[in-house]
Amino acid sequence: MSAAKKYKLMDTTELHDTENIASCLKKGDNGSSNATTGSNLGRSAFAAQNMNSAASTNGERLPNFSKLGSHHGSDMRSASTTSNLLNRMGAIHNTKPGDVKKIVIKNFKAKPTLPDNYSEDTYVKLEEAVIAIQLSKPIKYSLEELYQAVVNMCSHKMDAQLYIKLMELTEQHVKRNIKLKELTGGSMDKLVLLEKINNWWLSFCQQMIMIRSIFLYMDRTYVLQNSSIHSIWDMGLDLFRIHFAQNSVVQKRTVDGLLTLIEKERQGSTVDRGLLKSLVRMLCDLQIYSSAFEEKFLDATNQLYKAESQRKMQELEVPEYLQHVSKRLAEENERLLHYLDSSTKHPLIYNVEKELLAEHLTTILQKGLDSLLEDNRLNDLTLLYGLLSRVKNGTSELCGNFNGYIKKKGRTIVIDPEKDKSMVQDLLDFKDKMDVIVRTCFEHNEKFTNSLREAFEFFINQRANKPAELIAKYVDMKLRSGNKGTTDEELEKTLDKIMVLFRFIHGKDVFEAFYKKDLAKRLLVGKSASVDSEKSMLSKLKQECGGGFTSKLEGMFKDMELSRDVNLAFRGHTLSNDRDVTNLDLTVSILTMGYWPTYAPTEVTMPPQFINPQQIFNKFYLEKHSGRKLQWQPTLGNCVLRAHFDAGPKELMVSLFQALVLLLFNDKPTLSYEEILAATNIEDGELRRTLQSLACGRARVITKTPKGRDIEDRDQFDFNNEFVNKLFRIKINQIQMKETNEEQKATEERVFQDRQYQIDAAIVRIMKMRKTLSHNLLITELFNQLTFPVKPADLKKRIESLIDRDYMERDKDNQNQYNYVA
Amino acid sequence: MADDGENSVDNKPTDDSKPEKMFTLKKWNAVAMWSWDVECDICAICRVQVMDSCLRCQAENKRDVLGRQDCVVVWGECNHSFHHCCMSLWVKQNNRCPLCQQEWSIQRMGK
Repeated sequence: MSAAKKYKLMDTTELHDTENIASCLKKGDNGSSNATTGSNLGRSAFAAQNMNSAASTNGERLPNFSKLGSHHGSDMRSASTTSNLLNRMGAIHNTKPGDVKKIVIKNFKAKPTLPDNYSEDTYVKLEEAVIAIQLSKPIKYSLEELYQAVVNMCSHKMDAQLYIKLMELTEQHVKRNIKLKELTGGSMDKLVLLEKINNWWLSFCQQMIMIRSIFLYMDRTYVLQNSSIHSIWDMGLDLFRIHFAQNSVVQKRTVDGLLTLIEKERQGSTVDRGLLKSLVRMLCDLQIYSSAFEEKFLDATNQLYKAESQRKMQELEVPEYLQHVSKRLAEENERLLHYLDSSTKHPLIYNVEKELLAEHLTTILQKGLDSLLEDNRLNDLTLLYGLLSRVKNGTSELCGNFNGYIKKKGRTIVIDPEKDKSMVQDLLDFKDKMDVIVRTCFEHNEKFTNSLREAFEFFINQRANKPAELIAKYVDMKLRSGNKGTTDEELEKTLDKIMVLFRFIHGKDVFEAFYKKDLAKRLLVGKSASVDSEKSMLSKLKQECGGGFTSKLEGMFKDMELSRDVNLAFRGHTLSNDRDVTNLDLTVSILTMGYWPTYAPTEVTMPPQFINPQQIFNKFYLEKHSGRKLQWQPTLGNCVLRAHFDAGPKELMVSLFQALVLLLFNDKPTLSYEEILAATNIEDGELRRTLQSLACGRARVITKTPKGRDIEDRDQFDFNNEFVNKLFRIKINQIQMKETNEEQKATEERVFQDRQYQIDAAIVRIMKMRKTLSHNLLITELFNQLTFPVKPADLKKRIESLIDRDYMERDKDNQNQYNYVA
Repeated sequence: MADDGENSVDNKPTDDSKPEKMFTLKKWNAVAMWSWDVECDICAICRVQVMDSCLRCQAENKRDVLGRQDCVVVWGECNHSFHHCCMSLWVKQNNRCPLCQQEWSIQRMGK
């Protein structure tokens, strides 16, 4: 059967002869019974198709038909079973090939008409049905019948009246209901009212769906053709909205009810989220969600959280408060997920954040941040950062307070002279701690990294020079041997950390001076832990401050290497000249003056066994290097003495001064202080310390009478023949003079003197490059180049001095401009 | 050296070094500083210590690690000494020693 035929069949169906669609559909469920009855076939495409499939199953049962093909067979079969229909249409099917007959389709002779009172009857019928639906009562008529009635009404141009009629019915129903709610709602519990309204709404929707199904034909034809008319569903919603919105009492009660319910939930009770969700959906569907509900909801939210935040800020510690805020935010998000409309998300979360966080930003930070940082509460800090980054200015406020904390705390580390011993370690630990916080809690935010740096630079320079000095000493401690237990990698890491601190120091030359002093000690005593680490530290410094900064330090290393070569050459020289000095093993470290720290020149009286080799070496060296002079440094250097005690021979490792004193006992077993002083000519204080180290230290190779710690002018000293020690080689430690204030001052003074040269050099360097430069620009450039803090007045003095020395001149026309003089 | 006078007197103990002696010197690691053998530490031309490079060399950061070949000291016949760099610039203008106005001729160079 072709599609055209099906269409034809549908179209010509007489209106009064309609069959019940429902029954037709019912029969369609069972194909075989449909095929045998066949009476209602052709009414709908659905039925025809059904029959088709039924026929084909029949065809299979009859083998003689199957020869003609199942399709043909079905046609024939349908032709025979639906003979009455075919006759009416006057169409004849070809049953035999060759038997040609034309099919002619004619119009009805008379236009089919409706019975006279059909429209009135149908109105009543439909009205009854709609009211029954609205009252949830059983409908008298079958739905098919009602559907068909609507189709007929529409086909006969009565669709507009029908639509109006339906609208009136719906409106009445809505009105009636809302009146009821208004009258009864007041006395009701809010929850019950909400449930009632929800039920009403749900059943209204169901009713409208049912009504729409019945009036579907109208919805598809009349409504679609007239764009100004709402679909039945929209019309229903519209009416509901109009009356619901008009009736402020009911609407208010509903919204209030919702708000009460939400508040209850916020206070921790369990509420019917399904009900909330359904009602909120209702408001959304009615498109009054934002106008009727959202604003009030947000207001209520603000008020609740405003009061709550004020109360909780008082009651709770900051970390607990933060936990609370985070819980609240999670709850609100869940609320959004479960029943609120997603459009509320932004304003709601914004408001909650504002009331709970933004309003209390300063209080939270002032009250809680310091202790969080102090106690290293990483989780709480992470939470704090997470929460504050949600509100405006949150992170910048946090950053500012973070910065303030570092400055405050850092100052306490740096400023107190009593804490000098642990200052550098404290600084390193503090830096580590803050780094971890920035990295893990503050998402490695660049703003915080920079702020951390700035704060360190600020506080570390709050105390001039001392941090630089202590950092240098800390490096010395790390690089000195005897610092066993740390691997090179660990040491390297520590040095890297130290470099971070070093970077913050303004007076880098102070560091250099102290570092140099310690490096000299390490190199001369051979106490450096590892050459690699020394070199690594040097290259770090070079990288940081440039070659000019480290050239002298590098020169010190170079001196040590050159000395090695010189000593080799000297040994060769003494051997070949067959001198008498071979019984003394002399090694000389030749230092370039200027590279090394300056040592106060001291003169001591040395016995020939020192003087002779010294003179030989002097001669040897100055022959090689003309124009030089050598200045021996008795305060540095050390000796190995072989000593004979009763208990046996020992080897003593002593300083030159100690050696000079001990050797005196070869001639006289008992010596007075004055005698020793006269014989050695060692400076008084130095000599007392030397004697103390020999007579009062751990290894007492001489004895003192009377006993006591301090050396007096009249003390007597004796060779201690009974000296015993389980070791063969004994190092007798020198008593280190406490670095006196004078010494420290001397180092600092030297630094300041050096600064003058550095300023001079920098000025010349800049002027040579620029040729002419205004005063201000020159000062700016100098500030950029110099590695230490300096006052503009000092710079001016240096400029004047250079002008005096003809390195530069004032411009003749412009007093503020300088010209370079080549 | 200051203790030259005592040398001859104390020479004997070194010679008769017997094992019975209480202390015997085995090894001496000494330290000495070298500097240019000059009358005046400061170069009169650039007013920087002669042990440091002259001001211009410092400005150019010319010192290499090997020492100061670039900026050695030069002595004139008058025994006045200056940075070689400074002096070579000076003699272009005036071939006299800046300190004593004698005709400048190089006596020796530092190495």
